[in-house]
Order: sequence, then structure tokens, then C-alpha cells
Amino acid sequence: MSTIRHPAAAARAQREHRSKMQEGTILSFTTIAHPPEGFPQRQRTVALIELHDGTKALGEMLTSTPDNLCIGQQVKPHRRLSHITAQGLRVYAICYEAVAGKVAPLRVFPGYILSLTGPSGVGKTTVCTLLSTKIGEYAQRVPIVTTREPKPHDGDEYAYVTAREFHMLRKRGDIIAATRIPSTTEERWYGYRSQDIEGIWKSGKIPIVITEMGLLQELAGHYGRRSILSCGLLPPGKSKRVMLSHLLHRLRSRGRDSEASIAERMQNAEKDLLFFEEQRHLFDDLIINEDLERVLDLLKGRILALQEG
Amino acid sequence: MHCAPTPTLTPFLASSVSLIGTGQTSFGEHWDKGLRTLMEEAVHAALEDAPCTELDVDFVVVANMLAERVSAQAHLGAIASSLLPHRPPAIRVEAACASGSVAVHTALSLLESNRAQTVLVLGVEKMTDVRNEEIAAALMGAADSEKESPSGLTFPGIFGLIARRYMEEYGLTREDLSLVSARHHANAASNPFAQFQSPIPARVISESTLVADPLRLLDCSPVSDGAAACLLSTKFEGPVRIAASQVCTDTLSITERPTITSFAATREAAQRAFAEAQISPIDIAHVELHDCFSIAALLSVEDLGFAAPGEGIRRYRERSTAPTFNASGGLKACGHPVGATGVKQINDVAKQLKASGSRWGLAHNFGGAGATCGIHILEYAS
Repeated sequence: MSTIRHPAAAARAQREHRSKMQEGTILSFTTIAHPPEGFPQRQRTVALIELHDGTKALGEMLTSTPDNLCIGQQVKPHRRLSHITAQGLRVYAICYEAVAGKVAPLRVFPGYILSLTGPSGVGKTTVCTLLSTKIGEYAQRVPIVTTREPKPHDGDEYAYVTAREFHMLRKRGDIIAATRIPSTTEERWYGYRSQDIEGIWKSGKIPIVITEMGLLQELAGHYGRRSILSCGLLPPGKSKRVMLSHLLHRLRSRGRDSEASIAERMQNAEKDLLFFEEQRHLFDDLIINEDLERVLDLLKGRILALQEG
Repeated sequence: MHCAPTPTLTPFLASSVSLIGTGQTSFGEHWDKGLRTLMEEAVHAALEDAPCTELDVDFVVVANMLAERVSAQAHLGAIASSLLPHRPPAIRVEAACASGSVAVHTALSLLESNRAQTVLVLGVEKMTDVRNEEIAAALMGAADSEKESPSGLTFPGIFGLIARRYMEEYGLTREDLSLVSARHHANAASNPFAQFQSPIPARVISESTLVADPLRLLDCSPVSDGAAACLLSTKFEGPVRIAASQVCTDTLSITERPTITSFAATREAAQRAFAEAQISPIDIAHVELHDCFSIAALLSVEDLGFAAPGEGIRRYRERSTAPTFNASGGLKACGHPVGATGVKQINDVAKQLKASGSRWGLAHNFGGAGATCGIHILEYAS
């Protein structure tokens, strides 16, 4: 009797393959002397893997010498026949193979980061500014390193660098998360420096970052998903269409962007909204920014709870 | 639609509930006893111990996980009820290895709502009638059948992952793990109900067969048959009172947790239980904790607040007597008939309090890899 006996259950498990087909790091592993019935009756090494996108998965390790494995080792995925059920169903599974020589140091929990993710115009910057003034003794905004031109409306949230400097910082590992926002007018890179984030931790505060999908995933990859208190900010509205029209209204009424730039932002926003649906696991909270005061109260509560914990 | 105003939730026990009777079968391989016989024996023992008669039982709550799969028997509430002459109403609860404590928690709700004044809680499990492979597969029902089972993991495998990670993070050694099991086995030497009543030296544990590296056979609690029963009452008074009852949960799969070297459900349930009883860990004299595997005992000692993370083993190295941990022998030495364990732990804490005359004791029972945790604090008034 196999643990997955029903073809339908096996089929559902196979649907998960796409999400497990990623490189990752071994968090732990064990060699089972007697695997469950239905699986090949030989020693089986199973590992808990932290995948590239911050999710975790369990999978068999393709190795004949489990003694050579170690926690922190990098792995790459393979799709293999796992076993054949009593009904003759061939069950495939994602297995992992250790990549020789690559061992990540054991990650020590560094501290919490509050991240705000959301489409352009949803109010990330406003929320972030108000938070870091209202509870400045507990939380502090992390400056965004960017290659884009300074604009008259910019506050002190940006640190401007040239594209060349940006890529040097990234290569040296000073910038630990970076992303390029698609734009037809200029090459725009945004990123965060580890020294800024770690400096804020040293002062006993919680860093607040404004992220989008790329930055969020890289931050989670660098400090561990557990470190990120990830909040998605969404515009009010029941359907995507209503949400987008809200954003359009806000972007127009703040009067900072040209129509061309707004059109570009709207295109990106549509992708962002899709991202919330597909990558729900990257968010601890999804917050609708309808009433600014309530959003601030909620986030304040989260930060104070982190500080106490 | 009319909506009644929401009453304030009461997270703490609203009435004073006494534990007025306890009883159990011995745990082990009872090839000559089926579910019904085991239940009968435990109920009889609990009633013998109590100041009430069987007719005082207003309600029965049965805890069990595997009866359908092992004994082809569902509907355990009706069996339990038929053991009493007046056949009181009965229900069954299931929360894998935490079934016992969740049954006690359920019984307390019946008492608080005044639906019953005396409730019989009965935990029972029959595991030795089928092959070990079948039991192993059945127990995996306590894990996530979509996220964990397809990888070919077994329960010792899940705790093997936890143990290896813990060893890496905190530098725990193989000998440390053996010390935990050895201590529990030594404690069971004086427990006539235990499955294993002879001490097992740490060296033998370290050399036992590898099951799920780094865990060896003698790190794992055994497969057992057994039943345990207790009587809880608001009508009859006894020297032991339930001072706190909390049930907390976590994600079913270990892949969805930030860490596997600490169980959030235990931490949260402990925090709430101490708040409910208005005491702190330092007040507790006796602890029965859920050592389904040696590593689980260390996690639990830490999550319950008796040691800092990574320092649970010090309690074993120092031979902690305040509090005592698993003076009964725990799951490791007493046996672990899944549904009976949570009830048996509460019974044992009550016995230990009566024997030592101490005031506070705690029973910690979890299901799966800590996805459900039930904690009860008992107060003894001498």
C-alpha cells in the first residue's frame, strides 16, 4: 500500500512539480532505513530544501553517499520516476542533487525587515514616510539606491548613483537586492545595501523597505524568508479593473508623472496585481489601502509586536 | 438577517473542574485484548478511583486516531457509551497524537456549558494487530499527505530532519540524544504500567539500529496498545483541579514553517496556559512531555519555557528534579498508544502531584510534528 494510493491525489501532487523545480539549499536531511511501502525498498535520503523563491520543499536526494551531504549545500532539481503504484500508475517526483563544492554558511536569523510591496500609486512611499516619522524610535526607512535621475518631488528616500557605480556595488556584494524597472525612457535600477539594513538593526530598530517582486525575492533569498515581514498593499476595489482605475486616478491626481510614464506604470501595476495572486506565499499580510489611518495602525501594531517579540 | 451581539470570548476555564478519577491499562502488546476490552479495563479503573458511580457519567469523550484503519472500527463513541449501563451520549475526537489532550479540552467545554456535570474521557489505541509497515503508513496520516508523504518520508524521518537540523544549529551530539532516552527508560523502571520497565544504558541506545539518521530505534517511542481514562467533574470535588487547558495549532506541514527546531504551537499553548493558571514555569513540579522521539523532548523542554533554545539538554545533564520530566517514563518507555497518550499524561501528572504533595504539574501533548498541541496545568490542594 503506497502512501499516495489514489490516482487523483497523485495527479494533484504532480501539479506541484513546477513550483518544486528550482535550485535551493539543504536545510536538513535524513536517511530512512525503511521507506514506506510502495517506495523502492532501499535506503532513502530525504531532504528539506529551501528553494530559490523562499518556499520549502521535501524531496529525495539523488545520492549513494549520504555521509557526504551537509546542511547548507546547494542543490539542483531533477524530475525522476519515484515509484509505480499498485494500480500501475507511474508516479514522478522532483528529486534533488547536491552541487559539488557549493556550501552556504548556516544562516543565523539576523532580524526582521518590514517590506511594503504594491503597485505604483498605491501609497507605499506615503505609508513608509508616515511610519518612520510616527514610530521613528522603532522603525527606520532604508534608503533606496537608484540609478534614476533625481526629480523635484523626491524626498530623502533615494541615494543616487550612476549605473556604473550601481553595478560595481552589486558585484562587490554591497547591494544585496536589486531590480530593474522596465522603462522606455531610461535604464532604471533600484537596490538595497546590506550596510544600510544592518546599520538599522544595530541601532535596535526595524528597517522598512519598499519592494516589488524582484527586490522582495532577493531580500528573502539573502536574509531568509523568515526575516521578512512582508506586507502587500493593494488599492481598494473588488475586481482588478476597479483596482487599476483607482491607481490611475491616484497617479493622475498626484500630478508628478507624464501621461507616458503613467501608462508605463499602469502596465507594471497590472503585472504586480497578478504577482499577488500567484505568489501569495511571499506575503504575510495583504492590506487594502482604503483608509490610511487604519493601514498605519495595523503596521504600527505589527512593528511593535516584532519589537516586543 | 438578524445577528446576535458577539459575546466576549472566554479563553480561560470559566468553572472549577476537578479530576476525580484516573485509570489505565498497562501499555504494550495486548494480543489478547481488542479495542472494547482495553476501553472497558481503563473505564473500570477510573471509576474505581473516583468518588462517583458509573451512573453519574453524563457524557463520554473518546480519543482515538487509527481504529478505522487498524481495527476496521469507527463509531467508538457508541462502544464507549455501551460500557456504561445508562448509555450516556458520547463523541469521538481525533487530532493524531494530540487526540487525548484535545478530548480533555472538549470535555471541559461540555462541563463549562453545563451540558454535563461529570464527563468520562477515554483515550484508546490498538496498534499491534497489523504489520509495522501498515502502522507506519497509517501514522503518516498525521503529516501532510500532499507536501510530506510523497517524498517518501516516515514519521521517524520527519523527526530525523528536525534532529539533524537541531544538532547543526546547537551542536547537540548523538550521546546527548541517547541520554534523553536513557533517562526516560530509567524513570519507567518504577512504573508498573510501562511497556519497558528495565533501564537501558545510553551506550545501547547509541548503538541501536539506525531508523532515520541520526535517529536510532531506541530514540523512537514504540508501537503500543492501551487505553487510559479519566473522570472530570464540576459536581464532585477532588484534590486535583484543572487549572489551565489550552489547545493551539500550527501549519500541518513542516515545509510551511519558519523553523523546524522549535514548535510554535507548543510555545503559544504554554504561554496561554501559564497565563490561565497565573503561574510561571518555575512553579511547576512535574512535567509529562511528549517525547515521541528523543529530540522532541528537548524541543518541548525549550518551547515550554524550561530552558533557552538549544539548552534543553542541560536539564537532562543536570538531572533536573525541579521540575521532573517524564517521571513516568514518557512515551519512550511507557509506550505510545496514540489516542491514549494525552489522557495518560494527565493521569500521571495527577499521581505525581499526589505522591510528592507539590502544587502544580503540567501535561504536554502534541500531534504530528507539533501541528496541534494540547497543554493542561493541574493544581493539587493537599
